[in-house]
Formats: sequence, C-alpha cells, structure tokens
Amino acid sequence: MLRKLLAAVLAVGTMAVAHAPAATAQDLTIATSLPSLGFPFFVHMQKQLSEEAEALGGITLMEMDGQNSTPKQTADVEAAIIQGVDGIIISPLDAVAMGPALQQAVDAGIPVMTIDRSVQGVPGILAHVGADNVKGGEAQGRMIMEMFPDGAKVFNLQGQPGASPAIDRNAGVHNVLDAAGDKYEFIFEQTANFARDEGASVTEAGLAGLDSPPDVIVAANDDMALGAAVALKDAGVEIPIIGFDALPEALAAVRDGSLAGTVEQMPGGQSREAMRAMVAFLRDGKEPEAVTLLEPFVVTQDNIDKAERLSELE
Amino acid sequence: MSDALVRSGERKLDLVDLIGRFAPIIFLLLLCVGFAVIEPKFLNPLNLFNVMRQISITGLIAIGMTFVILTAGIDLSVGSLLAFAGLVGAAVAKGGFEDRFAVGASVAAGNPFWMAALAAIAVGIVGGLMQGLAITRLRVPPFVVTLGGLQAFRGAALLFSGGGPISGFDPSYTWWGQARVFDGNVPIPVFIFIGFAILAHFVLRRTKFGRHVYAVGGNPIAAELAGVRVRAVTTTVYVISGFFAGLAAFILSARLNSAEAVAGIGFELTVIAAVVIGGTSLFGGIGTIFGTVVGAMLIGVLTNGLVLLNVPSSVQMIVIGIILVLAVAFDLFVERRRQLRPSSIE
Repeated sequence: MLRKLLAAVLAVGTMAVAHAPAATAQDLTIATSLPSLGFPFFVHMQKQLSEEAEALGGITLMEMDGQNSTPKQTADVEAAIIQGVDGIIISPLDAVAMGPALQQAVDAGIPVMTIDRSVQGVPGILAHVGADNVKGGEAQGRMIMEMFPDGAKVFNLQGQPGASPAIDRNAGVHNVLDAAGDKYEFIFEQTANFARDEGASVTEAGLAGLDSPPDVIVAANDDMALGAAVALKDAGVEIPIIGFDALPEALAAVRDGSLAGTVEQMPGGQSREAMRAMVAFLRDGKEPEAVTLLEPFVVTQDNIDKAERLSELE
Repeated sequence: MSDALVRSGERKLDLVDLIGRFAPIIFLLLLCVGFAVIEPKFLNPLNLFNVMRQISITGLIAIGMTFVILTAGIDLSVGSLLAFAGLVGAAVAKGGFEDRFAVGASVAAGNPFWMAALAAIAVGIVGGLMQGLAITRLRVPPFVVTLGGLQAFRGAALLFSGGGPISGFDPSYTWWGQARVFDGNVPIPVFIFIGFAILAHFVLRRTKFGRHVYAVGGNPIAAELAGVRVRAVTTTVYVISGFFAGLAAFILSARLNSAEAVAGIGFELTVIAAVVIGGTSLFGGIGTIFGTVVGAMLIGVLTNGLVLLNVPSSVQMIVIGIILVLAVAFDLFVERRRQLRPSSIE
C-alpha cells in the first residue's frame, strides 16, 4: 500500500513540476548537460545558461546533471533526443566516451554545441565554445616563472586522478616549467582530489615530509588551493599559492592576499556565448563560429576587476 | 529461511505476503502507466529500448550481486573492478598502449574483440576469487574485504592506465555495445543482460549449487551440518560477481568506445539498490533474479521518466533515495509478518 500511495504522490508531484514551465508560450526547448552539478564551477555555468535563456525569452530549458558518470550523461542525452529538443548544449564529462551518444543526437538532426570541454570523433557538431585547460595550466606555469625568474621549488596539488581537467591542467603547468629547464623543480606532487579538506591534509603532510619548504604551491583548482592556505596558516609558513577556476571565495582570498592568484576560464562567458549562438542559429539560421576559444588568464590583485564573478563577493 | 522452504509450507493466501512478493512489479507497472500518461513520449519504443540498454550494464552486475547478497554477503568492489577489467580488456584490444587515444577507423589492428572480452572477464574472475578467498580463508567480513577491493582495484586501474582513458576500438568490438538488431530496434547489451538473467535464474532455481546459495544465506551453520560446502559456495559467489563485473566492463567500453579509469564510480550503490528494491534480503536466503531485473528496471524507468519530465536532478536523487528506504522497510515488514506465523517456523 505504501508503494501505491507513493506512486500517486509521485505522479501528482511530477505532473506539477512538469506542467509549471509550460504555462507560457515557449517556442524553443534546449537541453543543457553539465558533467556534475556537485561542483560549484558547473553550478555557476548552469546558472549562466539559465539566466541567458531567460533573458532571450521563449526558451524551455531541460537542465540535466551528469552526476560525474558517463553512463548517466549518455542516458540524459538519449532522453533529450526522445524528448525532441531543438538543441543540446553540453560539456561532456569525457571527450571520447560521450562520442556515441552525441553522434546519436547529431544523427537525429539535433544541433549540438559543446562548452568548456569538447568531444572527439563526432562529425557534425555545430560549434564549440571553450577555454583550454592545458592553456590554463600553462598560465599558472608562466606566473611561477614571472614570480621566480631564477628558478623555484614547486609544490603541486593535482586534481582527481583520471579526470580530464586534472590531466590537462597538470600537463599545462609541466609544459611551461619543464621547458624552462632544471631550475624549476617539482619537489612534491600529489593528488588532493579537487577537495578542500584533502588540499589541507596533503599540504600538511607534504610540508612535514620536506627538508625545506617549497617556494610556491600550485593547485589544479581553488578548493585545493584554499585548503592549502589553511594548512600554511596553521604551520606559520608564508609562500604564494596559485589556484584555478576563479571561484568567488578564491577571488576574496586573492584580494586579501592569502592566495597569490587563480586562473580565470570565464565559464559563465562561455555558457552565455554558447546559449546566444545556439538560439541565433535556431531562430535566425545564423551559423556560429566552429570553434571559439577564450584565452584563460591568471587573476591577481592587480587585475582582479577582470574576474567574471567578482560581483558575487558584494 | 529460504524462499523455497516458505513456499513449500502449505498455508492460506496471505494478502500482505502476496503484495510483498509482487510489490516491485506492481510498482514498476504503476510507474510506467504514470509516466506514459504524463509524457506519451515515454512509450516511444526507442525510449523503452534506451532504458533497457541503460540498465543492462548495472543490471548485469546486479545479477552477480544477487548471488552475493543471497549468501548474506556484499560486494562493494564491483565499480572499481569494472574500471580495472575494462582497461585491461581495452589494452588487449589495442595490442598495448600505443595509439591509446586513436579514435575512428584508422585504429591499428590489435587483438580481436573476443580476446579483449576474455581478458576483461578473466580480470573480473581473478579479482572476485581473491576476495572470495580472503573472506572464506582469512575470515574477514565481506564488507571489509570488498571495501578494500573498492580502493585497491580503483588504484590498480589508475596505475595500469596512468590515469587516462584507452579509447577507439574497431567496429567488431563496439558492435557489442552499440549495435541494434531486429530492424535496428533491440540493442545487443539488452540481449546479453536478459540472456544472463535467464541463465542465472535457472542456476539459482534448478541446480544444487543454487539451492546451496540460498541455504548458506539462510543459515550457514545448518547448511554446513547438512553437508553444504559453505566456504566453496561463498567463494564461488564472489567469483560470479567478478565475472559479471568483467563482462559489464567489456560491454560498457564497447558502448562508450572508451575504457576509463574513472568508470563505474558509485556503481556498487546503484547495483545494491536494484537488488534490494527487487526484494532480495540483505540478511541473505531470500530473493530472486526476476526481482533484481525488476529492481534494475524500476531505477532505470524512474531516472528516465524524471529526466523526460524535466524534473531537477536533485529532486530525482531524493525520490530514488526515499524509494530505496521504503522498499527495504516494506520487505522487513513482510518478513516480520512471516516469522510471526507458526506455519513458517522451521
């Protein structure tokens, strides 16, 4: 009986949710799919996509959460195809593994745009708007070279093993510093899984294990950088930390000096740009640029006004 | 107390018992009707086959998990073992790590798909055997052994692949995950899932080994006294679970044209949820493969329907969580009713 009751409640509930947005006249349905709404970075992108759609008007959004799982994101895309959406804007969790599902969408005649991360091996993708994670890592590397022209001992906090942004950002830092020669030395490299608590604990352990402190800490995201900042404060050590993502909290930390910098990839700008281009294509048949790459840059105290999310601090 | 024993006791029809037995399928049908009424696109055959394909990966693992849970065990390692097995199979298919990211028809010939499939399944079987032996010979509880496996196999996957994926297989490989037969309708993974479900049902219901699985879960001491080789049966169910993790790894990598070190994270929870919603008791001895298939379909249909209806994913997670708890609460309620009846006391 419990289950029957629940089914009834569920049916009524879903009906209410499903019918609420359909009340006004909408001419377009666009599906958005981000890798995981468990990370503030993607929540921000989703918010920007929604706000831009709202501003353009007449758009019903189908907001989907990949939950950090390729099978889940694949299932979502398949559902969007069944639902007959007019367009799909997606940031694929994995560049190759999302290929088959997006190929299905393209084959079904649905325009697909990728943001932030691209997809490989799918001919017929309408357009890509993104900022390269490798370039972001390279920006971190160049900042280290500017701060320490004579060389530095680098302490590297890497992201979740196997995740593509972790691999790409790490590759970027190494590209620049490895090419600069032996004077830049990675004296400690460990993953802290993109998490703040692990950023703190791994930094503590790393500092304790090193004979002399490093010159600079570079982290593959802001959460780990902020965790490292806590550990440094506890240990009474003052060395610059460079984060990645330019989250509002990290911008506050840059402003008060506890972080030296963070990488701005303009995820919101990418999202809005993609939504505008998709709607222009669907409504006016305007072909978008095949690839739009925004150049990531390091935000420091000097150029903090250029950060996308500074306004969220007030 | 095994299901077979309960059924053998002649007794009057009990409504609660009847609902308990058929609750998952009743709820599944109600859900399907509900979704079909609210969103007719749900009944699009393409959508229904999509749902079946989506559940076939976790469904395969859930078949193995049913054996394990029937012995009152648990296997938390399946998602990690899947990632490791998939990468080994993919490396075999590519003939090594060269061209690991090459996608498309230009892929250099490595080894045929069946060698990759056998390699993935072999990794699963060996992984399951190691855990089964640790449980029966070292006498460490299954929860702890497979929690260790969850960590260790993920580490092995990351170590083996250097963190990155291995992608791009030839068409004879991806056929197993992407092809559809019968006028391009029925996806291959669905056949494999249903085929193995029928086989597993037969093994559990019609073979001596199957009866021993129920006996071990119902009462290991009584089973031992009755001549059941409890340790051998227990080890075997973890090997079976490993086999299905390896098979699912092959199918998933064929479906996605890629094997990832981060594949299958959290699968153990979806799989255990499917088994438990399907009516298998976590205390062992009670449950069916049919129930597990229905449980997997229930989660698949629920997820698909809620996405089609554009329900926020946060709400979806809450709904699935609540249903899991209610399903177990209901099963325990029915179970207590059974135990109170004198006719079913063994």
